[in-house]
Amino acid sequence: MFRTIVLIFAGGALGAVLREVLMLRVPRLLDGFPLDILVANLVASFLLGWVTALHSRKFVSDGANTLLGTGVSGGLSTFSSFAYGVAVLMAASAAGAVVAAAYVAISLVAGYFAISIGLAIGRRRPSKPPN
Amino acid sequence: MSPADYLWVGLGGGLGSVLRWWTGKLVAERYVGDFPLSTLVINVSGAFVIGFLSVLFEVDWRDRYGSALNAAVLTGLLGGFTTFSSMQLGAAELKARKRGMLAMFYLLLSTAVGLLAAMLGAAIARVHA
Repeated sequence: MFRTIVLIFAGGALGAVLREVLMLRVPRLLDGFPLDILVANLVASFLLGWVTALHSRKFVSDGANTLLGTGVSGGLSTFSSFAYGVAVLMAASAAGAVVAAAYVAISLVAGYFAISIGLAIGRRRPSKPPN
Repeated sequence: MSPADYLWVGLGGGLGSVLRWWTGKLVAERYVGDFPLSTLVINVSGAFVIGFLSVLFEVDWRDRYGSALNAAVLTGLLGGFTTFSSMQLGAAELKARKRGMLAMFYLLLSTAVGLLAAMLGAAIARVHA
């Protein structure tokens, strides 16, 4: 229990700092499209799918799954900034509403692809069986 | 962006992630079923709070790392508490169990209710501002 909390805290802290770095480094598009949050959410979705699949095959320990899946990918991804970003874009202007709709569609579809690709790579059999 | 702000984001993100895990446990103890209810509850409540606090703090939504409070609470705590990746994992797991329509419904419902929650939180904060 205590170990789980420590792993989630450490992973969540690292994930959130990585998201902060993305928010500072990823260029914002002129039309207000929140590319930084999209990138954070897609990277986190891929990571969660990959770690989850490896964990289900016991290639990744319970502790590493908690640290990377629950912690890092949960801390890196954010739903609150996603939802509030859509609300602000929609309230801004008619053009903002179009950008908001595109942001929602791209986030949901690409996010689903990202986790599916992560799961598929994690499930892929290695060319040589592990010793 | 000072080193202290990174520290605040990290502390908030760690704490928010532990709260997410704990909330998930509480919901899972009370609800057993196919639907990823715990992630929905976490995300919708987090969206409500970010809408409310963003207006209350009078911060521009793109500039939420300016102060220690924004870094710790909005970027850290709420970002760590809510999760986009677990939402997508929930949808992928539904799809894997041949519940593709429910998976799509779950993603659209999360987004629609999350958006309404963020707008409601912002509206309540404006009334009280």
